[in-house]
Amino acid sequence: MNKKKSFLSNLLAAPHILWSIIFIVVPLFVVVYYAFTNAEGDFTLENIFELKAYIPTFLLSLWYGLLSTLICFIIAYPFAYILSQFSANSQRVMMMLIMLPMWMNLLIRTYSWMLILERNGILNKVLDIFGLASENGFLNSGGAVVLGMVYNYLPYMILPIYTIMSKLDPSVVAAAQDLGGNRFDVLRRVVFPLSLPGVVSGITMVFVPSVSTFYISQKLGGGSFMLIGDAIESQFQSANNFNLGASLSLVLMVLILISMAVMNKFTDSDDTGGAIV
Amino acid sequence: MENNIIIDLKNISVSFDGEPILKDLNLYIRDKEFITFLGPSGCGKTTTLRVIAGFIEPDSGDVIFDNKRINDVPPHKRQVNTIFQRYALFPHLNVFENIAFGLRLKKAPKQEIEETVTAMLKLVNLKGFEKRNIQSLSGGQQQRVAIARALANKPRVLLLDEPLGALDLKLRKDMQNELKNIQQQMGITFIYVTHDQEEALSMSDTVVVMNNGVIQQIGTPIKIYNEPKNAFVADFIGESNIIDGIMREDFQVDFSGHRFECLDKGFAPNEKVDVVVRPEDVDVVDVDKGMVKGEVTSVTFKGVHFETIVDIGGFKWMIQSTDYHEVGKKIGLFIEPDAIHIMKKSEYSGLYGDYSSFSEEFDELSDASVDNGEEE
Ligand SMILES: Nc1ncnc2c1ncn2[C@@H]1O[C@H](COP(=O)(O)OP(=O)(O)OP(=O)(O)O)[C@@H](O)[C@H]1O
Ligand SMILES: [Mg+2]
Repeated sequence: MNKKKSFLSNLLAAPHILWSIIFIVVPLFVVVYYAFTNAEGDFTLENIFELKAYIPTFLLSLWYGLLSTLICFIIAYPFAYILSQFSANSQRVMMMLIMLPMWMNLLIRTYSWMLILERNGILNKVLDIFGLASENGFLNSGGAVVLGMVYNYLPYMILPIYTIMSKLDPSVVAAAQDLGGNRFDVLRRVVFPLSLPGVVSGITMVFVPSVSTFYISQKLGGGSFMLIGDAIESQFQSANNFNLGASLSLVLMVLILISMAVMNKFTDSDDTGGAIV
Repeated sequence: MENNIIIDLKNISVSFDGEPILKDLNLYIRDKEFITFLGPSGCGKTTTLRVIAGFIEPDSGDVIFDNKRINDVPPHKRQVNTIFQRYALFPHLNVFENIAFGLRLKKAPKQEIEETVTAMLKLVNLKGFEKRNIQSLSGGQQQRVAIARALANKPRVLLLDEPLGALDLKLRKDMQNELKNIQQQMGITFIYVTHDQEEALSMSDTVVVMNNGVIQQIGTPIKIYNEPKNAFVADFIGESNIIDGIMREDFQVDFSGHRFECLDKGFAPNEKVDVVVRPEDVDVVDVDKGMVKGEVTSVTFKGVHFETIVDIGGFKWMIQSTDYHEVGKKIGLFIEPDAIHIMKKSEYSGLYGDYSSFSEEFDELSDASVDNGEEE
């Protein structure tokens, strides 16, 4: 009985497994292969040693990724918390508004920000009325890059947190109040711990694309900022050094895996579940 | 007497979305008593508890606690604790931390917390469960943790919202005794909610029968059972035959084509009344010796007794007796004066107490349909 069932489930899982092999495992091997070979296809560690030059780039990427994740969290958490207390109807409308930009292409969204932030952009024109315009506009700055990341990835932070919040058992919250908890106690001792799985998946879903983005930094950073995503892209696109590009990707991947493992440590201890990832 | 009252609800009205849920509710609760709200699903029991706990502010009326009006005191500042209808334990905390929750909020010293939690676990028979995960507990054990958690806060009043509803019959009986013991040991007021009339009668000092957001009757279990105020109460508490009658004069009542002696007085001459006769208070005798006569239409064996339905002049009576009377047999009924209880006519007259369409499934079905109507 049991055996039969597991055979059946294996069979049903087959397309998924095939898909994973073709699109995940094979590319991974290709990346590893390129990372440890030179242009002639011989084994070498040179690509890895060459990465030393990219340490500042890695650090900058990590820093921007962390910063935008933190800002997203600071905005998204209270937002999701308050939203979950609204009436069911307003919750639906608000969620629609949040999802709306996600239906637009990333390129278009980023271009719109360029139009807003550039020297003759809308923002500067408005500020000009008050005599506050910035001489060079706001593009091509670290701030613009972080803004772009926050804007693009904020919904990925809100969604998982909101999903968990809206499923919180109201009587558990009431119980905390009943036992003497004021609003802050309830938030700190009950709501936050119970929403942790959502927070963790939110952080992962924002941090990973922020660290590895190249488009946002190119357009809003104006090329004055080289993030690790840009470095990888240029190795493949212009420098045509697949081997270095692959080793950069590999290290980025390892970094991301490590940060995800650290994040998951937080939720492993309790199995309340509900994480989206 | 007056000082003895811990909670006083005065003219409480609550409505949700314009729909009145509690209608001008008046009730006082004495210190240290075990009081039970009893009523069908959706009648407003939980709502009343939430008003007392502070989760709902009534549209009008006063909530008085210890002679002080507490309408706008938030739940966390009230000296009451609640055991919620679905335990509402904290899933991210273990048993110890669940029980210690209130004490930690009060910043109680470590030693006091440990002593209290240990004492509470002992009280609810869960010694050694400190480190256990909430999800790993059975329903009965979760229930005990919920009780311990509420009691650890040393409330003056404990609100219990159908705490035993999810337990099986045997466990429920055990827990009923335990709860009663705990209440007496701790010497605090219990406000208990149930829709199980047997539970209400066996545990309470005072029973409050509610229907549709209105209190139907308040009294001791014996008084509620023996002297129901109207057809709703008579029908909800135990089984009742409720027959139309006419009060001829004090101690004389006509029903089912016979004049009976009774113990009730104070009605207008020839006033129309509802007459209640409990099925177990009817004696079955030979046809020619009966005050009224009828034909048996169905018999059900119930273990302790037979439940016999008798057609008397078109009205079906339920009779409980240890003797078996086969279907079709003609029998006579003998009713003592103290088995007859007279009630004034009410909005519920004629709705209950006739067993002509009787079957237990049908009873439940009709209950449910009433509920659905209310929820919309
Ligand atoms: N927050 C709310 N919003 C709208 N209606 C509500 C709300 N809470 C309760 N009600 C309605 O009020 C009525 C009384 O509910 P309440 O929970 O007090 O019933 P109850 O007597 O506790 O029933 P049960 O035995 O099923 O628990 C029901 O019709 C319910 O649908
Ligand atoms: Mg209820």
